[in-house]
Amino acid sequence: MNLTLVLATLRQRFTSPIRLVILLLLGWMPMLPILIAPRAGFAALGDCYFLTLALAAGMIGQDLSSGTLQLLLARPVTRAQYVFSRWGAVAAGTFLVVVLQTLVAALIMALRGAPVPWGEAALHLGNNALIALGMAAVMALLSSLAGGLGDLGLLVLVFISAQVLEKVGQFKSWDWLVRGAGELLRVIKPELDLAPLFHGGPVAWIAVISYLSTVTLCLGLAVVVMNRRELSYASSGN
Amino acid sequence: MDGIRIESLTKTYRAGQVRALDGVSLEIAPGEVFGIIGPNGAGKTTLLGCLLGFLRPDSGHVSIAGRAPDDLAIRAVTGYLPERLTLDRWMTGLDFLAYHHALARLPAAGRAAEVQAALARVGLDPEAAHRSIRRYSRGMLQRLGLAQALLGRPRYVFLDEPASGVDPAGVVLFRRLLDEVRADGTTVVLNSHQLDQVERVCDRVAFVKQGRIEALETLHAGAALARVLRVRGPAGTIGAAVPRAALESAAQRAGAELREVTPPVARFAVPDDAGAVRLVQALVAAGVPVAEVMPEEGRLERLFLEDAPPGGPA
Repeated sequence: MNLTLVLATLRQRFTSPIRLVILLLLGWMPMLPILIAPRAGFAALGDCYFLTLALAAGMIGQDLSSGTLQLLLARPVTRAQYVFSRWGAVAAGTFLVVVLQTLVAALIMALRGAPVPWGEAALHLGNNALIALGMAAVMALLSSLAGGLGDLGLLVLVFISAQVLEKVGQFKSWDWLVRGAGELLRVIKPELDLAPLFHGGPVAWIAVISYLSTVTLCLGLAVVVMNRRELSYASSGN
Repeated sequence: MDGIRIESLTKTYRAGQVRALDGVSLEIAPGEVFGIIGPNGAGKTTLLGCLLGFLRPDSGHVSIAGRAPDDLAIRAVTGYLPERLTLDRWMTGLDFLAYHHALARLPAAGRAAEVQAALARVGLDPEAAHRSIRRYSRGMLQRLGLAQALLGRPRYVFLDEPASGVDPAGVVLFRRLLDEVRADGTTVVLNSHQLDQVERVCDRVAFVKQGRIEALETLHAGAALARVLRVRGPAGTIGAAVPRAALESAAQRAGAELREVTPPVARFAVPDDAGAVRLVQALVAAGVPVAEVMPEEGRLERLFLEDAPPGGPA
């Protein structure tokens, strides 16, 4: 990972006015249930899936279509470093927003006289950190495949395809198709529930391996796609 | 060798249907300022893309100082200015240069001073440096791009149409910067359509056409008599009533050189614009009736014209 790139990505993402408005909306909306029912706990905040999407959209694709990538990769930066830096920055940025969100929610609970369940806060932060890392990896792959904000389009396409396949599987009673569609949905939203750890039990190995393999596969494929990509506009003009 | 070596480079697009480079071989010496010219679609940008490691050749080999062009050690000493310059528009000019200074792995200790020096070098005022790149004009963007390419005094500089969109003052600045870079011993590869610029700054030029190097010209940049003027007199004067010796003597007084007399036209070589003025004054003073003085197209222009189909250049 390249620290200069990580910091530049964070600055770029957090200084875009449109992105900031979306982040504010996504960050503050979950506060409403806490305001209404302060004892609802941190689970009421939901997960950071859409927050990650807001920060990740176009993380590589925008550089590809704008042409800034050429100038960047003329510097001593490998394409793998570039992909990992973008991934790390998006995940870190999302986690930062989640931490702020959690602290504000805790403040609201305390001000409204409700007990702050700190153990639940830690679980909320842990689970969301894993969602941020996983989703950022998925978006890194999709963004390396499509220019601009095409990664969002690809994500929606995969989601709709999986839903359709699932319905077809259910209609035809094809269990294998239903399971396949379910796997596809899990791939585009990698998550790992750490709750068992907080209740004295272990997290299932299969869940850990499934999560890690999805993240690793997405990042690995993103690096392969970027390494194979030709950057000169001469290649697109011909 | 510390220079650039290109061996039998071939690059095709669309599954081999379009042959952009066709067995290009070339050696560029360390410290040389090398120009690439040619018509649109000749393969110039593809060649530059291969030199920078952005494109994978189908066959052949590129090495810079004996290493692959995408070797990080080479990238650390390389500067690049693309033709379609797109900068990170959310940054200020200052931020942008600091960002590239850091990416180039240059020491952080001297960053602020070096960035300021780079801005001053390309004539961008401090007020503009604090402005968002989004508000830069085309010329300012080009200057900022040039400053970025020259950060940290790189050993290899690749410039793709560096003077495009730049005002005349910018063109003069670009020439001065290139002279400075040359004095540093930097190897420069310049891709440009501005033939007069290429002719003035390059040591050698490759004329690329249909993916091949059609001609390699040694220009001897900074040669004493770089420009050629065609002087025409009324019929029966130059080369007749005015003998060659009188023309030679006037040329000598003006520091010019008589190249050829084909009545009623004489061709003179002069060092620069001031030399042209001196020559005309010397001819008039010698009583030579001057009806017309025209600068002759440069050598590179002739390359294009000789190559063009009847009726004009392609």
